[in-house]
Amino acid sequence: MKRFIIRRVLSGILTVLIVFVLNFVIIKAAPGDPISTLMGKDNKDPAMRAALEEKYGLNKPMPVQLVNYLTTAMTGDLGSSMIYNKPVTTMIEEKLGATVLLGLTSALISAILGTLMGIVAARREGSVYDFVSSGTQYFFNSVPSFWLALMLIIIFSSKLNWFPSFGYSDARANYEGMAHIMDVAKHMFLPCLTMVLILIPTYFRIAKSSVLQVSNEDFITTMKATGMDEGKIFRKYVFRNAILPSVTIFGISMAYLLTGVTLVEIVFAWPGMGRLTLTAINQRDYPTLMGVYLVMSISVAVVMLIVDVIYAYLDPRIRYD
Amino acid sequence: MNKKLTPKFIWETITGDKQLLAGTIGAIILILVVILAPVLATDDPYYFGPDSMNLMGENGHILGTNHMGQDVYSMIIYGARTSLKVAIVSALISAIIGVFIGGIAGYFGGKLDLIISEVINVFLMLPTFFLIMLIIALFGNSLMNVMIVIGLTNWPSNAKLMRAQALSLRERTFVRSATAMGETKWQILMKYIIPNGVFPVVSNTTMGMSGAILTEAGLSFLGLGDPNIISWGQMIYAGKPYITSAWWLSTFPGLAAIFTVLVFYLLGDGLNHVLDPKYSKKR
Repeated sequence: MKRFIIRRVLSGILTVLIVFVLNFVIIKAAPGDPISTLMGKDNKDPAMRAALEEKYGLNKPMPVQLVNYLTTAMTGDLGSSMIYNKPVTTMIEEKLGATVLLGLTSALISAILGTLMGIVAARREGSVYDFVSSGTQYFFNSVPSFWLALMLIIIFSSKLNWFPSFGYSDARANYEGMAHIMDVAKHMFLPCLTMVLILIPTYFRIAKSSVLQVSNEDFITTMKATGMDEGKIFRKYVFRNAILPSVTIFGISMAYLLTGVTLVEIVFAWPGMGRLTLTAINQRDYPTLMGVYLVMSISVAVVMLIVDVIYAYLDPRIRYD
Repeated sequence: MNKKLTPKFIWETITGDKQLLAGTIGAIILILVVILAPVLATDDPYYFGPDSMNLMGENGHILGTNHMGQDVYSMIIYGARTSLKVAIVSALISAIIGVFIGGIAGYFGGKLDLIISEVINVFLMLPTFFLIMLIIALFGNSLMNVMIVIGLTNWPSNAKLMRAQALSLRERTFVRSATAMGETKWQILMKYIIPNGVFPVVSNTTMGMSGAILTEAGLSFLGLGDPNIISWGQMIYAGKPYITSAWWLSTFPGLAAIFTVLVFYLLGDGLNHVLDPKYSKKR
C-alpha cells in the first residue's frame, strides 16, 4: 500500500509539473511582446528595453526562465491580475469556496443517484424502467450544461416562480444561522439540479454495465448453482463489486464536472470560479485565466490522487499490482 | 473483419444494431441539412432584416427573429454546417495524432512507451476545456483556431486505444513474420499495425465528435466563438438576455445541438458494438 501511494503521489507531482510547463509554453508562444506593451507603442529606446528585460529576467535563456517561473509559482505566487491589480491567488481564494460547495454537492448527489438508478436498470434489464432510464441517459449525456440551465430557469423561475434564478443568497434579506443556510440552499437548487442531470448518465452507464458484467462472472453462476439465495448473492457479492467503478469514475469525471460547473455558474450568476473566468475572458486578463487553469488542474490531480488511494483501499487487486 | 464490405453486408450490419441504425439515419439527415441548407432556409441567415424580435411565425419567420433581425430558423439550418465542420476537422486531427503516437508507443515499446503512456495518462485527466479556453483567448478566436485546438487536445484517448492495439498486434504471427522478412519497423507500423488496430479509434473518434461540438458550443457561450460565423452555441449565448421574454431564441439552437451530439454519440456506440468482436460474440 505504501509503495502504491508513493507511486501515485509521484505521478501527481508529474502532472502538476506538466501543467506548469504547458502554461509556460503557452505564454511564450502567444502572440504579442510584453516588453513593448510595457514600453508603449512608439517607444523604441534599446537601453530601456534592455533594462526591462533585465528586470523581468527575460534576457536569460529559456530553461532558466522556466526554472524561475516554476520556483515563483511553487511559492504560491501566480502573478497579479492585469485589471484589478490584486494577486491572482487571492482572487481565486475568494471564489473557490462557492465552486467547491456547488461542485461537490452535485457530484455526490449524482454519484449516489446515478449508481442506484444504473443498478436498478441492470437488475430489471429489458423492463420499461430500463428502457426509459437508458433513453433519458442518452439524452442528458448530449445536453450542453448551460442550455439545460437556461431551460430550468424558464420552467422553474420564470413560469413557476419556485426558485430564484441567480445569485448565492438574497442580498436584501440579512438572514442569519439556519435561515441563511436555507436561503443558500434555495439559490443552489437550480444550479445543482442542472449539474446532477448532466452528471447522472456517467454513473448510470458505468453502474449498469458493471452489474451486468459481475452478474455474468463464473463465481456468481457457481453460487446460483449451489442454490444460494439470489437476493443475498446480489447484496453481498454483485453490489459490492459493481459500485467499485463508480469510485473511479468520481475521479475521472472531475475535469468534466469542473467544466460543467464553470458554465452553469455563469448562467446562474453563482459567485464562483465561473464568474471569475468569464470576467477574465472578457477583459483578456491573462494572469487570472492562467491561474484558473492551474488551480483547476491541481484540484483535479489532488482529487484523482485521493480517489485512487480510496480505490486501492477498497480493492486489494490494485494495491498488489 | 474478414468479411468483404459488400453493400449487402453493410446494410445487414447497420440494420442489425439499434444504435448504429439510429445514428446512421440521424447522420444522413444532418448531411442533407448541410448540403440543402440554401433550399431549406427561408431567409439569408446573415441578413439583418427590419423585423427584430419577431415572435414564432410572425412575418413568415418560423422560429421568429433575434435582436438583430436575423431569421432564427435559417440560422439554425446554417449552424449545422459549423457544427459538422468543427466535429469532423477536430476529430480527424485528434485521430491522426492519436493513432501515430499510440502506435509508436505500443509498437516500439521500452522507455519511449513508458514516457508516452505517462503523458497520455496525465492529459487524460486534465481539464482540457480550460486549456482550450486559455489558448483561444490568447491566440484569437477564429473557427480554424477553435478546430485545431480541440483536435490538438483530444488525442490522448485515441492514443491510449491505439497503444493497446499495437501492444497486442506486435506479438501476432503475421507481424513477426514481416519482421523476419526484413521489413523495417516503420513499414510494419504503417502497413500492419495501424491498419489492423485502428478500429477502436474509429468508434472513439466518432464519439469524440460529440465532445467537439459541445466544446465549441461551450466556448461560444463564453464569448470565445468566431464572431464571423453562425454557431448554435453563439445563438444560445445571444438569446440568454431574452430568456424570460423570448424563450425560443435559445431553446431551438440548443435542441439542434442536442440532436447532433446524440447522432454522433449513437453512431460511435453502434460502431463500437459492430467493430468490437468481443461484443458481437456476447450477443
